[in-house]
Amino acid sequence: MRSRASLLGGAIALLVSLVVFVVPFAFIVLMAFKDRRQANLLDFSWPNGVHLWDNLVTVVTTRNWMLVTAFINSTILTVVSVTLLVLLGAMVGFVLSRRKTRWNPLAEFLILSGLMIPPAVVPTIWLLQGLQLFGTLSGMILIEVAYNLPFTIILYRAFIATIPRDLDEAAIIDGGRPMDIFFKVILPLLWPVTVTNIVVQSVGIFNDFTNPLYYLPGNANATVQLTLYNFQSQFNTAYNLLFTNIALITIPPLIVFLFFNRQIVAGMTAGAVKG
Amino acid sequence: MASLSLSSVRKNYGALPVIKGVDLSIEHGEFVVFVGPSGCGKSTLLRMIAGLEEITSGKLLIGSKLCNDMEPRDRGIAMVFQSYALYPHLSVYDNVGFGLKLAKTPKDVRDRKIREAARVLKMEHLLDRKPGQLSGGQRQRVAIGRAIVRQPEVFLFDEPLSNLDAALRVDMRMEIAKLHKELGATMIYVTHDQVEAMTLADKIVVLDGGVVQQVGAPIELYQRPANLFVAGFIGSPKMNFTPVRVDAVNGNRVAVSGEDVINLTVEADPSNVSPGDTMTLGVRPHDLAPNQAGSIVARVGLVERLGNETIVSLELVSGTNWLVVLDGDRPLARGETLALGADPAKAILFDAAGKSVTRRS
Ligand SMILES: Nc1ncnc2c1ncn2[C@@H]1O[C@H](COP(=O)(O)OP(=O)(O)OP(=O)(O)O)[C@@H](O)[C@H]1O
Ligand SMILES: [Mg+2]
Repeated sequence: MRSRASLLGGAIALLVSLVVFVVPFAFIVLMAFKDRRQANLLDFSWPNGVHLWDNLVTVVTTRNWMLVTAFINSTILTVVSVTLLVLLGAMVGFVLSRRKTRWNPLAEFLILSGLMIPPAVVPTIWLLQGLQLFGTLSGMILIEVAYNLPFTIILYRAFIATIPRDLDEAAIIDGGRPMDIFFKVILPLLWPVTVTNIVVQSVGIFNDFTNPLYYLPGNANATVQLTLYNFQSQFNTAYNLLFTNIALITIPPLIVFLFFNRQIVAGMTAGAVKG
Repeated sequence: MASLSLSSVRKNYGALPVIKGVDLSIEHGEFVVFVGPSGCGKSTLLRMIAGLEEITSGKLLIGSKLCNDMEPRDRGIAMVFQSYALYPHLSVYDNVGFGLKLAKTPKDVRDRKIREAARVLKMEHLLDRKPGQLSGGQRQRVAIGRAIVRQPEVFLFDEPLSNLDAALRVDMRMEIAKLHKELGATMIYVTHDQVEAMTLADKIVVLDGGVVQQVGAPIELYQRPANLFVAGFIGSPKMNFTPVRVDAVNGNRVAVSGEDVINLTVEADPSNVSPGDTMTLGVRPHDLAPNQAGSIVARVGLVERLGNETIVSLELVSGTNWLVVLDGDRPLARGETLALGADPAKAILFDAAGKSVTRRS
C-alpha cells in the first residue's frame, strides 16, 4: 500500500516538474527552430522546417554583432562581480564573526538594511554620475556587488561561526598572519558556501535585467538580457529570433548549474556529520 | 636557552579580573604542569604565554626577551590544543608542514622535518590521510607532530589528553614524557587530571581563582601542601579535614583535640602556634589506621572492598564525613564503631587563614 502511494506521489511530482520546467524550455527550443511566420502563431506545434541555423546567424549578427558584445559584457560583469562578492563577503563575514567590537551592531544593522531597504534608482544614478561611473561596466560591477553583498555576508557569517576558533589560533601559533589565516585556512573551509554563492549570484547577475537597464544604457554596454529588446517592438516582434536569443542566453547559467550541481548538494550536507 | 618568567602578570576581561598577579619562573627543560579547578584561569594563563591573549599588566619573559607584545610566531612556542585544531582540508603531511610552509622553509628541508616528526611519533603511515580519517589518538599525534616540527623552545599543552579514553590517555601520557626527555624542551602542560600532573611534572603550579596557591615538586605538594586548598586538591581520595583546638605546644609537637579528635599529637612548626588556637586538622585517607588507642572514633558507613584495599566512609562524632583507605581486605560492617590513629608525622595543621603550619624539613 505504502509503496503504491509513494509511487503515485512520485509520479505526480514528476508530472508537475515536467509541466513547470520542461514544457517552457521545450517551447523555447521549438520556437527557435521555426520560421517567422509560423512562430508568430505562438502555438505549441512542430516546426515546419529546420530554420535554426538561419535564426542563429540573424540573432548573432543583428545590430553589428551586438549579442557577442553583450556576452563579453555580461561575462565580465558576472565574473568580476561574483569574485568580488565572494572575497569581500567572506572577509567581512570572517571579521564580523571573529572580532567583537562595539561597531559590530552598527555593521550588522547596515548589512540588514541593505537587505531590507529597496535601492533608490535616481539617487544612485546621480551618485554614479558624480563619480563618473554612470554607464560604465565598472560602475555596473560596483552596483551588483553592493546590491548582493548583504546576502553573501550573511551566508558566510553563519558558516564561519561554525568553524572553531581553535583553527585560527593554531594557524596564529604556526606563524600565520591574518591574510594567511584567511586564504589558507578559512577560505578553503568555506568552499561549500562559496559554491552556493557562486551559483546563486552568477545566475542572478547574469540574468539581471532591470539593473543594467537603469545603470548601463547604450548599445556598446548592452548585457545579454537587454539584447532581447532587439527583436521586439510594439507592433512587430520576431518571435522566432526572440526565442533563439532566449535559448542562447539561457545556456551559460545552465552550464554553471550543471557543473556545480553535485558540489551544491555536497555542500549542503557538509558539516551535517561530525568530521 | 628558554627559561620563562612571569612577574605579577594579570589579566582582566573588562572589569573582571581572571589572573590576579602571577609570579612564576620556569627553568629551561622543565616540565611544568598547571592544575586547578575548572575556571581558575589555567587556559588563560597558558594562552597569555602563547600570545593568544593580551597581558593586562605584568611582565612575561621568554629566554631573556620581554614578550608581552611580541607576536606568537616570534615567541618560539608551539601549542597543542585540547580540540587538536587540525586543519580539516589538509592532509596530515600538510598539517604538520603548515608552519614550515608559512615560514617559507625550502621544500627538501620541510620534507625531511615532516618525515622526522612522523618517525618520532610513529605516524608515517598516516601522512596522506585527512584529519577526518583519523582516530582521536592519531589526531593527537598529528597535533603534537605539528608542534615539534617547528622546533620550539617552549611547548604548551592545553589539556591535550582529555578527549581520549582512559587506556589511550595512559599511553599518550608516557609518550609525552618520553618526548620531553628526547627533545629536552621546556613544556607547560595544563590539566585537571591529578595523575597526569603527578606523573609528568617536574614542577606543579596549583592555581585557584587566578592566584598561584603553591609551586613545587609533585611529592612536595602532596606531603607539604601550603594551604587548605592545595591539601584538598592534590591527592585522591581527598584529604580529610576537621576543626581542632590546640591544647599544648611541646617542641615541634603540637597536641590538639576537638569534637572529633581526642588528644592527637601532630608534628608542626611551633612558631606560629599557641595553646587555645583554633586550627584545622588534615589527615589523608591513607594515613589513618585502625588502632584501639587511636584518637579518632567513628561510625562505619559505606564500605568499598576492592581486594587490595578497602575504602571506608566514616561518620565522625560531629557528623563530618571522612574517608579512610585501609590496606588489604577488611570485612567491616555498616554501623560498626571504629577507632583510628593518625600518623603524627603525616597529619597536617592549618591555621585560621588556611595556611599550613607543617614543619619544613
Ligand atoms: N573571553 C572571556 N571573557 C570573559 N571571561 C572569560 C573569557 N574567557 C575566559 N573567561 C573567564 O576566565 C576564567 C578562567 O577561564 P579559563 O578558561 O582560563 O579556565 P580554566 O582554568 O582553563 O578552566 P577549565 O579547566 O574549565 O578549562 C573563567 O572564569 C572564565 O569564565
Ligand atoms: Mg581550560
